[in-house]
Amino acid sequence: MKIFRVNMTNLTVTVEDVPQEWQGFGGRALTSAIIAKEVEPGCHALGAGNKLVFAPGLLSGTTAPSSGRMSVGGKSPLTGTIKESNVGGTASQKLARLGVKALIIEGQPQGDGFYSLHLDKNGIKIEEDKVLAGRGNYEVIKKLDEKYNEKIGIITIGQAGERKMLSANISIKDPDGGLRSAGRGGLGAVMGSKKIKYITIDDTEAPGVPVADPEKFKEAARVFAKGLTEHPVTGQGLPTYGTNVLVNIVNEAGGLPTRNFSTGRFDGANKISGETMYDIIVSRNGKPTHACHPGCVIRCSQVYNDKDGNYLTSGFEYETIWAFGADCCIDDLDIIARADRICDDIGIDTIETAVTIGVAMEGGVIPFGDGEGLLNLMGEIEKGSYLGRILGNGAEFTGKAFGVTRVPAVKGQAIPAYDPRSVKGIGITYATTTMGADHTAGYSVATNILKVGGDIDPLAKEGNLELSRNLQIATAAVDSTGLCLFVAFCILDNAEAFQAIIDMLNAQYGLSLTADDVTELGKTVLRTERAFNQGAGFTSRHDRLPEFFKKEACPPHNAVWDFTDEEIDAFWNF
Amino acid sequence: MELEIRLFTGLKCNNQELPCYGKQEFFLDVPEGTTVRELHRLLGIDPKTSLISLINGLSRPDEWVLKNKDRVGIFPPVGGG
Repeated sequence: MKIFRVNMTNLTVTVEDVPQEWQGFGGRALTSAIIAKEVEPGCHALGAGNKLVFAPGLLSGTTAPSSGRMSVGGKSPLTGTIKESNVGGTASQKLARLGVKALIIEGQPQGDGFYSLHLDKNGIKIEEDKVLAGRGNYEVIKKLDEKYNEKIGIITIGQAGERKMLSANISIKDPDGGLRSAGRGGLGAVMGSKKIKYITIDDTEAPGVPVADPEKFKEAARVFAKGLTEHPVTGQGLPTYGTNVLVNIVNEAGGLPTRNFSTGRFDGANKISGETMYDIIVSRNGKPTHACHPGCVIRCSQVYNDKDGNYLTSGFEYETIWAFGADCCIDDLDIIARADRICDDIGIDTIETAVTIGVAMEGGVIPFGDGEGLLNLMGEIEKGSYLGRILGNGAEFTGKAFGVTRVPAVKGQAIPAYDPRSVKGIGITYATTTMGADHTAGYSVATNILKVGGDIDPLAKEGNLELSRNLQIATAAVDSTGLCLFVAFCILDNAEAFQAIIDMLNAQYGLSLTADDVTELGKTVLRTERAFNQGAGFTSRHDRLPEFFKKEACPPHNAVWDFTDEEIDAFWNF
Repeated sequence: MELEIRLFTGLKCNNQELPCYGKQEFFLDVPEGTTVRELHRLLGIDPKTSLISLINGLSRPDEWVLKNKDRVGIFPPVGGG
C-alpha cells in the first residue's frame, strides 16, 4: 500500500512508500500519527499549514465483518485540537482496495474556485470544479452517480464546508446513495479550506487487499461474525431498532439531556424513541434495518420516509434525534428528520448543530419546543446569513453571541446525548478525550447504563475514571482497525470474538500480535494525540466540564458533577 | 402496593390473568415485598431474557425488593450511541 499526497498549493500528486514507523498503523492511529508528525500544532486549522488525512482501517477492504470504517484526521477548527472523525459509507473499502494506506491533502490553492479529486487504478487526477460548488450533498451524489455510475465512491462537502463553518462535516456516500458523515470537529471546513468540493473513487480493477494467510483469516472472520450476530445488542437490538433504541433507557435512567441540559428526563421521550421510529418507518415502507457499508452485519442504519412514503433521510441516529428532540424539546420525529436531512445536505454536524440550537433557544432566539422555528434556523444556516453563520460555528460560538452561560461544550465541542452528572463515566470521557466532548471516544454509557462489559454505578465516582480510561485506550485501537466501534458491545462480553479481531489482523499482515500489543497501540494513539494538543497550548485546565455541571443539580437524581481536578488529571496516569 | 411500570423495546405484559395483559405502560398492585425477579415472573416475561431493570431510574439486581409507588422500567439488552 502507498501514501498518496495531494498538494493543493501547486496542484500536484505524489505517491510515497509507507515509512516503517507507520506500517502497523491504519485508521485513527495513522491519521493521528501523520498529523502529529507533519502539522505544526499552532497552525491555523483553516490555513495552508493544516492537513486533511483519509485513512482506511487496518482491516478495511477485506471480508472482515463491519470493517468498512474510515478515519478522517486533521487539526480541528472547532476545537483547536487534533481530530479523528470516524465514518462509514463505501469510501474506506474502495480506498483500501486501490492500495491507499492514506490520502493526505495539504497546502491551499490561490483563488476562489473549487476542485475535485478522482482516484482510480491509475492514480489521482485534480480537476477544477465549475458545476457542483455551491450545491448540496444530495445533488452532488446524484450528479456524480450520473457522470460515473452508482458504484462510484464519493466524499463530499456541502455549503457549510465551502463556507468554512466550524461545524461542517465531510459526507461519504453509502451503498444506497444516502449520506454518512465524518461528523464531528469541523473537518468539512478544512476540506473547504483546501478548496476541494468532492473526491470520487473508482475501484474498478483495483488490486485489492493482500491477506497473508487467507484460511486463517476466513476462520477468524467467521468466529467474529458469529459473535456479532449472536450478541443481543449487535445481533438483535441494533439491527431492529437502530441506535435510537437508547432514547427510552437513557431517559428512564435520568441521563437524557433535556431543555439545553437543564434536566435529565424528557416528557416526549417515547414519541421520539427507537420503538416509535420503527413503527413509523415500517408504516411508510422505509427500511428499519440498513447497512452503512457493505459487509456490515450489525446494520444499525435505517431509511426514514416522509408521510407520503418518499425518502427523507437515512442513518437517522440516536444522537441526532436526542439533540434536535429532547435537548430542543421537540417531540415530533418528522420535524427532527427534516432537520437531519438539511444537516446531511448542507454538510453540518447534527450533534453540534442541534446542541447549538438548544443554546440559541436558551438565548431567546426562538422558544424551546418551536419545531418550525428550528427548521427556519436551519434555513438560515443553509443560506449562510449572518445568523446562520453564528449558528454554523457551533454551541460555544453561539453561546457567546447570545450571552448564554449554560453552554454544554468541552474544548469547544458540544457535549452529546448523555448528561455527565447522571452518567459519570461518560463525563470523564468528555473531560479528558483528546477530541473535545465526544461520547464515542470512550463509551462508558455501555457499562454505566447498558450493563455491557460489567456494571459500574453511573452516579458514583468509584470505578468511572478507570472505566473511561480503559475504554478510551480500547477505542483508539478499534478506531485504527476499520471496525465499527459498535463491535465493542460484543467484544466487551465475548473474549472469543475479541481474540478473533487479533487473529484477523495477524492473518492479514502475517503478524503475531497479542492483546497487550493492541492495548499498547491504543495508548500510543492517545499519547500522540495528547502531545499534539499540548503543542497547540492545551493543558489539564482544558480537561474540565463547564461550570454549570458543578453548580446545577440535574433531575431526577439531582446529581452534580463532583470529580475534583486532581481526580480528573489522574486519567493520564498510564 | 402500587407500582408504575413501563416495559420497553418489545417487552409487554404476557400474563393473561392481569388487567395489564398486552400493555407496556400501566400501574399494577402487587404484594408487599415483591422483588424485581418476582415482578418479571408475574408479568410473564421470559426468565431466560437478560433484562435491565431500572427502579426510580437506578439499575437494580433481580433480588431487589420493590416499594410502594416505585417507578419501574424494564428493558431487554440494548445499545447504540
